[in-house]
Amino acid sequence: MNDYDVLVVGAGIGGMESALKLGDMGYRVLLVEKEASVGGKMILLSKVFPTLDCASCISTPKMAASIHHPNVTTLTYSEVDGIDPLAGGRFHATVKRKARFVNETTCTGCQLCETACTVAVPDQFNADMVARRAAYIAFPQAVPKKAVIERAGSSPCSYTCPAGIQAHGYVSLIRSGEYEKAFQLVLDATPLVGTLGRACYAPCEVECTRGSLDGPLPIRRLKRFVADIHYEKFDGPGVEVPAPNGHRVAIVGSGPAGLTAAWQLARKGYAVKIFESAPKAGGFLRLAIPAYRLPSEVVEQDIANVTALGVEIATSTPVTDLEALHADAYEAVLLATGTPRSTTLGVPGDQLDGVMSGVSFLRAVKLGEGVDLSDKRVVVIGGGNVAMDTARTARRLGARDVTVVYRRSRAEMPAHHVEADDTEQEGVHFVFEAAPVEVLHSGHGATRGLRCDRMEPARPGATGRRHPEPIPGSTFEIACDMVIAAIGMAPDTDGFSAHVAADPSGRLTVDPTTLQSATPWLFAAGDVVSGASDITRATGQGQRAAFMIDHWIQDRNLDGIDGFDLRLSVVDKAQVLARQKAYRLAVPADPSQVLSPAPTDFREVELPMTEAEARRGAGLCLDCGVCSECGECVDACPVDDCIDLRARDETFKVEVGAVVVATGFKLFAADLKPEYGFGTFKNVITGMQMDRLLAPTRPFNTILRPGDGKVPERIAYVLCTGSRDETVGNPLCSRFCCMYSIKQNQLIMGALPVADVTVHYMDIRAPGKRYDEFYEQAKAMGANYVKGRVARITEKENGDLVLRYEDIEHGGGLVEAEYDLVVLAVGVQPNSDAQALFPMGALSTDEFHYVAETNEDTDPGRTSIPGVYVAGAASGAKDIADSILHAGSTVAQVAAYLERTKVPA
Amino acid sequence: MTTLTPVKPPDQERTFVPRILVFSTNNISDPGIDLAGSSHMSYSPGVVVISMPCTSGIRPSWILHAIDHGFDGVFIASDGDECAYLADCSVRASRIVAQAQALLTKGGHQGQRLKMAAICSVCAEPFTRHVQQFGQALATLGPSAVAA
Repeated sequence: MNDYDVLVVGAGIGGMESALKLGDMGYRVLLVEKEASVGGKMILLSKVFPTLDCASCISTPKMAASIHHPNVTTLTYSEVDGIDPLAGGRFHATVKRKARFVNETTCTGCQLCETACTVAVPDQFNADMVARRAAYIAFPQAVPKKAVIERAGSSPCSYTCPAGIQAHGYVSLIRSGEYEKAFQLVLDATPLVGTLGRACYAPCEVECTRGSLDGPLPIRRLKRFVADIHYEKFDGPGVEVPAPNGHRVAIVGSGPAGLTAAWQLARKGYAVKIFESAPKAGGFLRLAIPAYRLPSEVVEQDIANVTALGVEIATSTPVTDLEALHADAYEAVLLATGTPRSTTLGVPGDQLDGVMSGVSFLRAVKLGEGVDLSDKRVVVIGGGNVAMDTARTARRLGARDVTVVYRRSRAEMPAHHVEADDTEQEGVHFVFEAAPVEVLHSGHGATRGLRCDRMEPARPGATGRRHPEPIPGSTFEIACDMVIAAIGMAPDTDGFSAHVAADPSGRLTVDPTTLQSATPWLFAAGDVVSGASDITRATGQGQRAAFMIDHWIQDRNLDGIDGFDLRLSVVDKAQVLARQKAYRLAVPADPSQVLSPAPTDFREVELPMTEAEARRGAGLCLDCGVCSECGECVDACPVDDCIDLRARDETFKVEVGAVVVATGFKLFAADLKPEYGFGTFKNVITGMQMDRLLAPTRPFNTILRPGDGKVPERIAYVLCTGSRDETVGNPLCSRFCCMYSIKQNQLIMGALPVADVTVHYMDIRAPGKRYDEFYEQAKAMGANYVKGRVARITEKENGDLVLRYEDIEHGGGLVEAEYDLVVLAVGVQPNSDAQALFPMGALSTDEFHYVAETNEDTDPGRTSIPGVYVAGAASGAKDIADSILHAGSTVAQVAAYLERTKVPA
Repeated sequence: MTTLTPVKPPDQERTFVPRILVFSTNNISDPGIDLAGSSHMSYSPGVVVISMPCTSGIRPSWILHAIDHGFDGVFIASDGDECAYLADCSVRASRIVAQAQALLTKGGHQGQRLKMAAICSVCAEPFTRHVQQFGQALATLGPSAVAA
């Protein structure tokens, strides 16, 4: 990056004017603007006073010039992160180009991404009165006319998903009615859309920002909704089968990790074969999770997605010889065999008839091996999800009495609390803080009961989790006909020991990033690596394995591999909530489960969502990350590779000879005057909002009040809102509110001839050339000016507003007057961004926090730092004409400084 | 008994809608024309807009080509004196217009088939007015003679 003579920070009218004049003098200028377009506040205005010239007609030529000037380099959507003085009076500046996610060179400004975008946020360029899209062009006159995609970060739901599913993306697609696209977005991560829509533990919902308001969105059920719709219409995934790439991969195990890896590889053109030891494919999806939670047809539909891409699944085919598999032209082998082994109870009697493991029990039921528990009493040992599944399945098979025995407390159960609640609702009893000591048997060897000890929580052990200890003498018995132990699962990896190491519990040792074992062609993923987890994590592992295997086969090298995890950092929920202008609190969605205290069949307990429920649920999304990563813009963009969501901020350093601070001002936040009701009363608006209503690019093409869209007939202005007001800490006059109000008065009377305009003022300050004449002209047109401060505004039921004020000119009594619309003539606030550019405390400010000029009367534009100058309203309230004038004098100072520092001392 | 009278077919002859090619500029007149559309103002469906950086880049031969190939008129929505590139943009543009009109006349077309006006970035209404009036003028001239 080249060095420049001058850095100008801010491309409002003051900054543009400075940059253009310096450019005309022959200096090379770098102009940096934080928004996506140059133009600042001026381009957003209706007209300028007192000439009533069109503000955009005057601004656009300057804006266009600022990006076309041969001596001016303009960077929009960029920020100056810091400016450090160097020896010789020069400066080092750090400039951050915020990622636009749109290639500025190839974007044609066609706006197709904007039309396709599924996220709407308040439009800051229309003073938040209407919405814009997350993919947007700032406004029609934007320079450069290039799109930007606003991304505040990863939305918490998408960020937290272990399966890498774009949760926010599919929610926003459902909100837009794009159900098939939502399904396809989930398919990009995993083929198990219907499965995860039912059996996922939904960490997204735990993280949902809306959870702190009125409850999280039903994110998981929304996924089920799109899966149900898709499978009604299509068999298979509805994607094109990719052309084969000539490589072969073998996968051992057809659980969620294996299926997801197969899907991902097949979509890249790999010939994939899955070897499954069980008679049916699907692993625990098919052999453990009960049908009332996950119907087998759904698993089959999900598996059909994978086979539709040509993936072969060989069932009843256990793999014993990995070497032979590799020799059979499979370039890579993935082990995803899960945790089929069950931990035994390890107490006397645990080998008796009538004692079995939860996994083998569930498997027998799912394979239809005719398990009959009619009138039996069953004890289930364990507190995890398998224990819950086992207990609820036992109820459905007719067990008279089902008791879950768990050695810790209810709060410490590893099962998801919803699962535990549902289990209890189905008539299962719980015995907490108890552990089995012996399985008791009758004389014929049949189980007759379980002897247990009461447990007491002991001190936290090395892992931080308290290890329960038996309470001496607390033994008790539970009479039962069957004991099912669901106390733990482990991998079965003995057969793989020649190729890959395992820890004592059988978990395979692989690189945690690449999932590659010590044998380079052998990878492992899912529970066989991590130990028993859940289908969502296993899905994510399968995805990772596919990514790594693909890279390994293509490059034979995984050193320093990057690019699997493309998430931005997660957004701060407090900021998301603070960003909301308004939201309605909604009644949390009904979980819609049909639970029976004595269930008798395996019908699915959760009801599907209706379309209305789904749309309503998705509509509650707060769009935490702004962009939802739904990918609609990428599909809509007619230019190849123009939109790239993988783009990241870029920072560079540049040396400059001088700096012009033109960071402008902020408008007073009108809600700091609560007595005026801004933000609460919809028909109280700010002066900037009225300017937008009057501008040629106005959002509604007419003047109307926001509350009900009525064209207002009685309009009041409250001058000095936030100016000359010690109660808000601003004693200063903002200098242009009187004039812009008078301008708006005239424009309103022109646009709405029947409207009455009344201005409540302290005194009118119109001290410029033709300014007072302009005021007189407004009076002559019929605007009514009333001296006296407004004390309070109240709202009537119909949205009309009552102003209470002191009528100074007519005896000083308290008067109330009614209006349709009230405009608060908000004033200027200093923009503290300027100070943050420099080392702490270097840039002096005046007592009102504007950038201080060493002597504003005799030395305008000069700041406390030699070589740093200020232009425009950053140094105090200025109207457009004064800002341009001030920029001119600053430019002269800058030129003098540059010439002076050229001469060696 | 009623006799069926054949229904008269609707008038087949459609009114002549002149086809107008508009040259706009990326930063100034195009946003103004864009605004006419986004504000739902109405103008003739015969208007087609091509945007370019600067009016002075138009070649006179393009205009003859457009008229020769089926456009009935060409409207140049120029930046006037506010061009971001060239201080003498409007001088150059008026030279281009004069040359183009000479070419048109030589090619057997009326010089009035070319019109130029300055359109600002929010000149939506002036633009619609210009193309409406231009359209009426072209309607009087009738369709252009398409080159063989």
